[in-house]
Amino acid sequence: MPNIPQPQRQDEPVVTDADLAALLAGTTDAAPGLRPVADVLAALTAEPTGMELAGEAGALAEFRRQAGAQVPAQRPRRSSELRSRFGVKVGASVTAVAVVLGGGAVAAFANVLPAPIQRLAHEAIGAPIPPARHHSPSHSRTAAPGRSGVHGEPPARGGPGASRQARPHATPTPAAHGNPQSQGKKGNPPGEGNGKGGQGQGNSQGQGNSQGHHGSGQGQGNSQGKGNGQGQQGKAPHGPAQQGNPHKKGPHGSAQANGRPAGHPRRSVHPRPVMDP
Amino acid sequence: MIGEEFADLLAAAQGGSEAAFSRLWRNANPALLRYLRVIAPGADEDIAAETWVHVVRGLASFRGDEQAWRAWLFTTARRRAIDLARHRSRRPETALDYATVAQLPSSADSAEAAMENLSTAAAIALLAGLPRLQAEVILLRVVAGLDTESVARMLRKSPGAVRVAAHRGLRRLAQITADAGVTL
Repeated sequence: MPNIPQPQRQDEPVVTDADLAALLAGTTDAAPGLRPVADVLAALTAEPTGMELAGEAGALAEFRRQAGAQVPAQRPRRSSELRSRFGVKVGASVTAVAVVLGGGAVAAFANVLPAPIQRLAHEAIGAPIPPARHHSPSHSRTAAPGRSGVHGEPPARGGPGASRQARPHATPTPAAHGNPQSQGKKGNPPGEGNGKGGQGQGNSQGQGNSQGHHGSGQGQGNSQGKGNGQGQQGKAPHGPAQQGNPHKKGPHGSAQANGRPAGHPRRSVHPRPVMDP
Repeated sequence: MIGEEFADLLAAAQGGSEAAFSRLWRNANPALLRYLRVIAPGADEDIAAETWVHVVRGLASFRGDEQAWRAWLFTTARRRAIDLARHRSRRPETALDYATVAQLPSSADSAEAAMENLSTAAAIALLAGLPRLQAEVILLRVVAGLDTESVARMLRKSPGAVRVAAHRGLRRLAQITADAGVTL
């Protein structure tokens, strides 16, 4: 579309952008064509009238109300809020720590913690010693008998009946952990090595090892008690029976071989002394 | 405009000085009313009062110079006016012609006030006849004393658009006054 310049009217003053900018800036010497506009703008910025200042009282009342509500109340509120928040945090922390420690102690004395933690609790606060793993009798019975001697349990010497009695006892008592007092007092050679080794059956091999460490020399009497001279001693090279002298230990070792904790011998079993080949 | 004293006045008002706040109010409220008479005719005083309530509540946290202070004040008033316009659009009312109302004295026994207000009211009436954007830009530039950038931010326009709107408004105002032979 062609840009056709329109002829300027002779009576219309030329107004430039600079003039308008000066008008907005408030300069007094406006261009001749802009003087009426300058008068309008001057009227817009005229001195305030009484009506325009009539609302001052209301604004001051609002200001007074806000200032009275904010200034005095803020400072004390801050300190009290800080104190209360700090107190709440400290109280919550102390409570949480007390609950955790107390619960842990209760669990430790209830002997329900995992074994490593239970041992730590035992060393720290005298909690009971963690129990060893239980092996179900059925499992021990079905295990291969040929392994019995490998882990240090002297195989039972008795017959099939004796071997049944000699079930591996996987739950060590304090005596099973090599407590010499319990063994000596009760006169029973602690049968730790016995029960685990599965004298007759030789199932629980791993247990025999661990107990052999704890009760080395203690379980020797057991193997004798249980084995009725029929067991294979030679298959238990690492067991406690080999470490100790089986003849030295008491005649009640068979009771422990039956899987009972030390101190609770089974009286019905009468061990026989075993002669070394 | 207050000028160099503004920072001290603002600090004193924020500290609770009624005199300082009164000075700020007396300096800004007339311009605020004149601006509102164009963009919210008939509700200027109510919106101005609500604006000051809002300003008083946020006064302690305000930071800025006099340009920022005025921009805050007029932005608040503009938002209130927009809210009122939306409210009125949902509940339409029959309004009187603003130019007629503005030229009448507010109080019946105040003839002197009517006379001194007449020129200002006539100027406002002339501006009210301009397109909305042009009138608002001229009012914010001249009455509120804001620079082009502040007006552009307030109206969400580019500074160039604000400048063009101002120039067009002034040209149109010049045309109107020339055609009608208006003298204030």
